[in-house]
Amino acid sequence: MAVYTLRRLIQMIPALLGIIVITFIISRVLPGDPAVMLAGEQATPETIENIRSSMGLDQPKYIQFFHYVVGLFQGDLGQAYHTGQSVASDFATRFPATIELALASLVIAILVAIPIGILAATRKESIVDHISRVFSLIGACMPIFWIGLLFIYIFYAKWGIAPAPMGRISGDINPPTNITGLYVIDSLMTGDFVALKSSLSHLVLPAICLSTGTMAIVARMMRSSMLEVIGQDFVRTARAKGLREGVVIYKHALINAFIPTLTVLGLQVGYLIGGAVITETIFTWPGVGSYVTDSILAADYAPIQAFTLVSALIYSFINLGVDLVYGLIDPRIRYE
Amino acid sequence: MLKKGLSLIVVLSTLLWTAGCASNANSPSASSGEKGAEASAPPKAITLAYSEGGSTMDPAEASDLTSDTLVLALYDQLVTYGKKSTDSGEVADTEAIKPMLAEKWDVSADNMTYTMHLRKDVKFQSGNPLTASSVLYSLERLKNSDSGSFLYGMSSIKTATAPDEHTVVITLSQPNHMFLQILSLYNFSIVDDVLVKEKGDGEYLKTHAAGSGPFKLEKWDPATEAVFNANASYWQGAPNLSKVTMKFTKEASNRVLLLDKGDVDMAIEIPAKDVAKLETNADLKVQSNASNRILYFAMNNKVKPFNDPKVRQAISYAIPYDQLIDDVMYGQAKQMKSSVASNTPGYTDAGYSYKHDLNKAKQLLTEAGYPNGFNFDLTLGSGFQDWADDAVLIQAELAKIGVKMNVVNVARAQFLEQQREGNLTAYISKWTSFVNDPGYHLGFLMYSSGSSNYIHYANPEVDKLWEQAGKEQDENKRKELYGKAQELINQDSPWAYLYEYNRVVGMGKDVTGYVYYPDEVIRFYSLNKE
Repeated sequence: MAVYTLRRLIQMIPALLGIIVITFIISRVLPGDPAVMLAGEQATPETIENIRSSMGLDQPKYIQFFHYVVGLFQGDLGQAYHTGQSVASDFATRFPATIELALASLVIAILVAIPIGILAATRKESIVDHISRVFSLIGACMPIFWIGLLFIYIFYAKWGIAPAPMGRISGDINPPTNITGLYVIDSLMTGDFVALKSSLSHLVLPAICLSTGTMAIVARMMRSSMLEVIGQDFVRTARAKGLREGVVIYKHALINAFIPTLTVLGLQVGYLIGGAVITETIFTWPGVGSYVTDSILAADYAPIQAFTLVSALIYSFINLGVDLVYGLIDPRIRYE
Repeated sequence: MLKKGLSLIVVLSTLLWTAGCASNANSPSASSGEKGAEASAPPKAITLAYSEGGSTMDPAEASDLTSDTLVLALYDQLVTYGKKSTDSGEVADTEAIKPMLAEKWDVSADNMTYTMHLRKDVKFQSGNPLTASSVLYSLERLKNSDSGSFLYGMSSIKTATAPDEHTVVITLSQPNHMFLQILSLYNFSIVDDVLVKEKGDGEYLKTHAAGSGPFKLEKWDPATEAVFNANASYWQGAPNLSKVTMKFTKEASNRVLLLDKGDVDMAIEIPAKDVAKLETNADLKVQSNASNRILYFAMNNKVKPFNDPKVRQAISYAIPYDQLIDDVMYGQAKQMKSSVASNTPGYTDAGYSYKHDLNKAKQLLTEAGYPNGFNFDLTLGSGFQDWADDAVLIQAELAKIGVKMNVVNVARAQFLEQQREGNLTAYISKWTSFVNDPGYHLGFLMYSSGSSNYIHYANPEVDKLWEQAGKEQDENKRKELYGKAQELINQDSPWAYLYEYNRVVGMGKDVTGYVYYPDEVIRFYSLNKE
């Protein structure tokens, strides 16, 4: 197990190096000059030259790459020109928001999708199964931005039960004392119910919006793997032993059916990070997603490179985590 | 398995509760010290919805709308614009320059030397006095800056000296009728030299304020909001508002919703299609001013067939002007009849004869030797829905006279780069002149070696008029020369003029004191809430 983990970690290194090189090349060959974007329409060629040289863009590409890599090893992710801050400090203020949103979406998706998947499998072709199928179809087909705008229109503009889609907490309330950066957790930890209520009410809509796609996929996955397991011999044996149906389903079948679902959940984390880009823009959620969108529009290299790198890291670790959890769930899975 | 899970939850929740000893940010004790103690009247606060979060607070480097707005809230300039009332509310009077940090100034007979007499009672927010050395320092910073240095160049400043603590003598390299107007711009804000030197200059001003302006910065986070508090000891008197919050909301539809629901007091960059809807809300008012932002259809004067003025004129006759203004802009724009915005002093539509007339267009094409039309590429940058809509309508009209326009869509960053290379055959673009003067405007766009003349328009006659006008000290004669230049340009039709945008700002009924400025930046000091 430990050897396996170490080997997997070492295997990550070439992948990450590849990503460093590729994102650098892609951001440099893409058309669009960040200095021109920054300078504004009335800037003279001299102004643009000044900006280029203070950005280091007037140097040869290989030198730029060298500086970038040296910076990375010193923990320097570079400067974000469109916000005027370092990428590291921008990430520090924005990443917690994205993590909170993605985690909330994941939790919502799991809490809703897994029971629905089980119900749909155990009551196959019943009304529950049909309803879940319809909802999965809707969830998988509706684009996030459309759901988001619909939610804002219905719950905020029409009914007035949701807060204004502006950030993570109401303007007249202080954010909770910063411990983890996740407002909901921090409010709980400091017993700050004012902030908890406000941050939860701001989080609910974007989180549901972001979770719809994941919810649909996980529910269908859970249903099909559950159906597969229920038909297997050991389930029949368990029933033959006279175990109660609940024990059969939730103790014996569920654990075995959960493995493929877990794989899908791991893959969905990547989707959640991608979906956060759109959700955050719609709900003015101050996370990394909307930040990267702005960076792309401004041809701002450093944040794009850093975000790709960090996403790859997160993705790699989640994949490793999922693979390790398999072994905990099913002791028959061996690591070689 | 289940038991394990349950006990884990119990342990976690107890952990959470015991961590409750960390301070609570919203308990009554923590939230004290929030309210300004000096306010006798109830504090007035305004929240504005902006789209972008800004990139710097450094006056010498600011070049986007939000950054400029931050700078003007925090800093003062030597001189400023007057105001005048029009049918569509209060607007800046760029021809009436008023004292600000300089209480008066003398101009030498040759218009080359300006002696600025500074006010003696101005203190920076740090408490440091504002002196002549602050002015010299600020000018020097601007001269060496990346973004703002071009405006320093436009000002023609040769030297600046300080004979005493409250006097600054600025000598120009040549007479410049725009000098005082340029001096009023945000780039020419005066910074607290003593404070900045203490902090080691450079990066400090990017994220910190060192000004004497009406508002103090409480917080600026480009991702969410900027918060300002009133500078109670401001030398022109404390502002009406105790607090101003800018909320950064990229989605235009959200800005409209927020304003409509009363969650913000003001919103900028309202899409034209939403104006009518907001006007039906009795709690709101929408101020729509004719702005200096123009939109034009540029044709590369060096590329066939657009090197022939007749072809360019034909295009100008083929544009469906009324459709663009009514159907695309919902009436929040007006037809443009000169290369200079109609708000600009010295504007004239002399020589402008274009209207939507396909027969005339066809005739001109035939005269130019293209009886069956021709094909060309229009490069369309992303980011502006109205540009794309305009392109579709123009494409349909051109097709009727045999001209096939292929729309090439590119991302905004790519468009700006290609535009600067000067090889695009045709494109649609906007322009706003910060300095409300035909000389500034034409110098960039229509002078043959102008830095933004990407379509290589070159008329020696126009160049000569522009140079003459720049030297001319008599205002009326100068306007006449600029008028003549505009007339020639209108006849040459290097662009097909599309429209002048309105600047639309929505606000609550109780908000007063909004003034439109040609740079489209809102000055918070004049705002009030009733």
